[in-house]
Parts: sequence; structure tokens; C-alpha cells
Amino acid sequence: MARPTPTQAVTPSVRKAYVLGGNRIPFARAGGPYVRASNQDMLTAAIDGLVARYGLQGERIGEVAAGAVLKHSKDFNLTREAVLGSALSAETPAYDVQQACATGLETVVSLSNKIRLGQLESAIAGGVDSTSDAPIAVSNRLRRALLDLSRARSVGQKLAAVAKIRPKDLAPSAPNTGEPRTHLSMGEHQALTTAQWGITQEAQDEVALASHQKLAAAYDSGFFDDLVTPFRGLTRDANLRADSSLEKLAKLKPAFGLGLDTPATMTAGNSTPLSDGASTVLLGSQEWADAHDLVPLASLVDAEAGAVDFVHGDDGLLMAPAFAVPRLLARNGLTLADLDYIEIHEAFAATVLTTLAAWESEEFGRTRLGLEGAFGSVDRTKLNVHGSSLAAGHPFAATGGRIIATISKELHRRKAESGSDKPVRALVSVCAAGGLGLTAILEAA
Amino acid sequence: MTTTVVLPSVPALGGLFARGAGLSLQRRVRSGPTTLPDVEYVVRGVRADASHLTAYQHLLGESASDRLPAGFVHVLAFPVATALMVRSDFPLALVGLVHVANRVTQLRPVLLSDVLDVRASAADLRPHRSGTQVDLVTEVSVDGTLAWRGVSTYLARGVFLAGSVDETSDPFVPPTPTGRWKLAGDTGRRYAAVSGDRNPIHLTALTAKAFGFPRAIAHGMYTASRALADVGAARGDAFDWSVEFVKPVLLPGTVTVRIAHDGDAFAFAGWDARSGKPHLTGSVTPLS
Repeated sequence: MARPTPTQAVTPSVRKAYVLGGNRIPFARAGGPYVRASNQDMLTAAIDGLVARYGLQGERIGEVAAGAVLKHSKDFNLTREAVLGSALSAETPAYDVQQACATGLETVVSLSNKIRLGQLESAIAGGVDSTSDAPIAVSNRLRRALLDLSRARSVGQKLAAVAKIRPKDLAPSAPNTGEPRTHLSMGEHQALTTAQWGITQEAQDEVALASHQKLAAAYDSGFFDDLVTPFRGLTRDANLRADSSLEKLAKLKPAFGLGLDTPATMTAGNSTPLSDGASTVLLGSQEWADAHDLVPLASLVDAEAGAVDFVHGDDGLLMAPAFAVPRLLARNGLTLADLDYIEIHEAFAATVLTTLAAWESEEFGRTRLGLEGAFGSVDRTKLNVHGSSLAAGHPFAATGGRIIATISKELHRRKAESGSDKPVRALVSVCAAGGLGLTAILEAA
Repeated sequence: MTTTVVLPSVPALGGLFARGAGLSLQRRVRSGPTTLPDVEYVVRGVRADASHLTAYQHLLGESASDRLPAGFVHVLAFPVATALMVRSDFPLALVGLVHVANRVTQLRPVLLSDVLDVRASAADLRPHRSGTQVDLVTEVSVDGTLAWRGVSTYLARGVFLAGSVDETSDPFVPPTPTGRWKLAGDTGRRYAAVSGDRNPIHLTALTAKAFGFPRAIAHGMYTASRALADVGAARGDAFDWSVEFVKPVLLPGTVTVRIAHDGDAFAFAGWDARSGKPHLTGSVTPLS
């Protein structure tokens, strides 16, 4: 049989991939109204909300990619199962992604790239996490003994496997935010970076307060009306405190960095709470958008991942974006001043501030970024304009989708309002466990 | 002339400890020799066992590769040196010896498939401000080429043989931590299971109390090997790995650690965050 021959050059042309919309469920605090909802339940609800909003019932979407950071082993096909349970066509393919807190943004980036390459016409990116319904695992030693038992043939082998089990092996191991290699929690890692850059509690509380005020204002103005679908009685993010104040925040006791010889400045008020929630983003080509009567909001221009060696003390755990963003902007011939919006995921208020401090540092610019001086300053009025994770909460893998849908709508609004052809751009930056970071540039359509 | 004693296999540490304990009792009755015996112990054809290696690697946080971690080579080879230490003409009693420092030079990778020749000798019996120190030198060769060399320094407290010392050490200032080891109560028993070192001071609070410790203490080589594992693959194929054991780690316990780049090398330290007192300090230096 003759081999099929390619009919065209193997180098595909690259076209634009657009964000066409988004939908999420309000984010809940752990142990709140979503306490019995599974990751699959919440992801399905977020997809179905998107389907309803954009009239996609029975539609065969090119591909759906989503993920969860805290994932049960039974959820090996979480996204496909959510699609099968949704109103989308059962012929919609799906795959799971897991890149810690960058999961949601990575699904947007990888699906956009497939659209840009012409492999897909449409896609849904997403993410979900439940800290209320987190997987509990048996201890390694019990697991090994049970696996040995399942392989044992003779009674003697079975008894030998069972005999290895000690009472303490029966204690379950719950997931935690500890880094596997350092055994420090994410908060403790950030506390080290916070102390290194000398960030005060007052500065962190100001970031937290701004996040609550901006998110509350966005809800009040109806900005989220076509981005959020109520779920289990929640209509707004449960963590949102519209009436917060610097006085209230200042009274909270430090939660991280207590073992350091510098003042502990990180509190529950300026750190994200454990949260439950799910988000989705609808992506597509211009042709697909036209065929479905949808208006492109923004295009994904480029993305850059980074990683730091926090294990050996070179940089703080959550500082990878401080390196990835300068590379990303340089590749695109842009500076911070060329960006109209800057979205930095608020894992902790201090994460935002240490990133900004690093960019403003002459020494960091020279020695760590290889620049001639400081990378630059961020105009605070461009930063997290509709609030971010400190107010909304942070269901790990759902955060990327929340940011992308929010900022894409804002980009489109600003472009339409300006009435000019001048590009309107946003930078999105998400830090993640393992010293990872993922950053992207979007441009208003 | 050096006498070479060839043993048929690596001896079990349990039997050596029993013999050492017996000799230690004799020492209380009459004083022993004051010089090192001019002898070396040799075991040829030593092979590592894959499941033993995996258990060690998983416990210490090493990747389960076919390369033997430098600390695992120590586990395989050091009983040969212990055999020398329980000779009746060895000047220091095994019971009560404190492992105060260890230095390993890994010259080339040692693989699971390699057949190892182990040679052990004692060297440099010398005075210390609180007693007498001696080095146990263990060398591991593959096909006649030296691949690994370990120098384990032991201190006999309160045993003064000769000479005077003038030693001062810099006070320890806790650096910025990079991590933390949470050591469970069974850490000593688990390392004993992979190392064969079932010295009672490491096993239970009760057996440790018999030797003057309030609780069981972690094996020094466990902590040093954790630090080496934390350095990771950046140590390369050939490196120097040296450690000083300053203060025992009581079990269960938490050790705050810094394992960080120090020029082209890595410096590591483990300390008690509450007291600021060090447990161990050391370095891993890649050999170019």
C-alpha cells in the first residue's frame, strides 16, 4: 500500500486564537457551600454555565482541557468525565493538565496554540479545585503492603505482606501545601522571600484591601454578570469582604514566617484562603467565532514559563514570574510601559510586592536578570484592576481561567471604548508550587 | 609492615557491636594499647542488592537510579572498618566512640552492577580538646581503580593519650533556611534497617537513655546523606562531601536546614530553630 503524501508544506501557518468568553462558579471558602461538591461536579457546572451562556448545547467543541491540583486518582480523566456529564456533545475530546497553580493558564496557552496552528477551531480551557473534597491517601507503607498483598499468591506470601503493616501505617496522609523537597509550606517559603525584600505588613494589607474593594466594585457594577453563574446558593465569591479596612486587616495575627528573626508580616488577611471553585474559558478562531455569532474579546499573543531553584536558596519559591516576564516582554519587543493591564496572581499580597520589588531593584536587574539596570516599575493603577485572588479566593487550578476571562472582557471593553486602533495589552502572571511560573500577553480584539 | 586481613565477606555490624561491647568492658579493667595497629582489612567482590538500594534511596530522598549514592557506599563498606575497630589491639573502645566528622571523595560513579573491593585502615590517632580522635579510612575500588574514599573521624571522649590541642571553632550563626526535616520517632529504626547500624542510641528512647541520651538520636550519616540528597544531581559524578556532626538530633525532632549554592560548591547546615544551635555543617564540592 502506498504511503499517503503530505499535500502541503509541513510548516503550518499561524493565525490568531481568541478568547470568546468565560464562565465560572463563584469561589467558595473551604468547608463552605461546596463542601460536598467534587471537582467533577464543579467543573461540569462551570462548563454547563458556559454552554448555556454561549448556546453550545450539543456542540462538538474541538477540545476541552482542564485540570485540578488536588486530584483523586479515580479522576484520571477528570475533564473528559466532566464533558460527558455536560450539555456538550459527547463527541467532544478532552484532556487533563496539571501544572500546580499554573494549570488553568496552561490550558489556555496550550489550547490557544493548537488553534493558532490550525489543529483546532474551538476549545474550552478550564480548571477546578476543591480543598473541601481533597483526596486522602493511605500511607506509603500501607499502600506498599496492600500492593504486595494483591500480588501475593500463597497464604505465606499473603501473611508476610499483612505482617508488614504497623498500626501507625493506618493513619491517612492528607495533602498539604508543603513543598516535597523542602518540607516548608508555601506560606513559609513566601515569608522568607517577604523578609528578604523587606515587605511590611502595611504594604501587604494595602494590596489585600485594594483587591477586596476592586472585586466588590466589579460585582456592584455588574461586570461579572456574564462571567459568573451562581452555584449552590453562592452568587459572589464567598471570601469577598467589601467592608474590609486597613484597621481590621492590621489586627490580624501573623500566620507565616513566625520562625524567622525578622518581623512576621503575613496574616490570613493578606494571604489567599483555601478555596473551592471552577472556571472555564471559551477559545476559538475568527472563523469559528463568526460562525457562532460570537465576538472575540482578546487574543493570546505569547506565553513564557519560568522556574527558579528555590531548593538551593537561589530565589524565592514564588519568584519565577519575576524572571519569565522580562524574557516574555523582550521577545515581543515590549516594556512594562507598553502594557495597559497587569494581572499578577495574588497567592499572597507579598508575592505581588516581592515581584514588583525585584523588578524595581537595580541589583536584581543586573545580577539576576542580566539587564543593565532595574527591569522597571508597574503603574499600580494598571494592577489587578478588578481584584484578584486575595478577594476572590484561589481554587488552585481555577485561578488561571478566572484571570483570563476577567481581563479579556476588560481588554475588549477598553478597546471598544477607546475607538482607536492602538493595541490594548495585558500581562498575566501566575506563580506556582515547585518554583514554577507561567506568564502570558493578551491583546484586545 | 602492614598486615592485610582478608575477610570472606562484609561482616554484620550487630556481631561487631557485641564484640566491641565486650572489649569495652575489658578496657575498664585494664588500659589498652596507645598506638594504632598497622593493619588493613580487605573484602573483595562486594555487590549491592537492588531492593536494599531502593529502600535506602527512598528513605534518604534520592532518586532510585542505578548509581549508588555516596552514603550507600558508606553503608556497604564501613562495616569492614568496624571490624578493624573491634580488634583487641585497637586503642579506643568502640562503645562510647562518637562520630564527629565524615569526609567522602567520590571519584567516579559506582553502579549497582559494579563489583566492589573494600579496603579499610585506621590513621591519625591524635589528641582533641575533649579526648582522642582517630580516622577510619575506607576505600572502594572497581576493577582495581579507586572510585570512593571515605574518612570517618571518631572521638573517644575523656581518653587522653598524648599531646596537646589548640582548637577554636567559629560560633554558628543560623543562616536563612531553605527547608526543614521533620524527623519522626522511628527515623533511627528506619535508617538502622537500611544501614545495619543498630546502635541502641538510635533505636528507642529507653535504649538511648542507657547511654546517657534523653531520647533516641538520629544517625549522623542519615542527616549527612539527607543533605547530600537535597543537593541532588548538581553534585555531579565526582565530588567531595564533608560533614561535621556538632550536636545530636533528638528523635522525634525538627531540623531547620540550609542547603545552598556556595560558589561552585554547595554548603549545608542543619540546626535547631529554637536554640539556634547547629546539628551539622558541611559541604558538597564537585570535582572538575
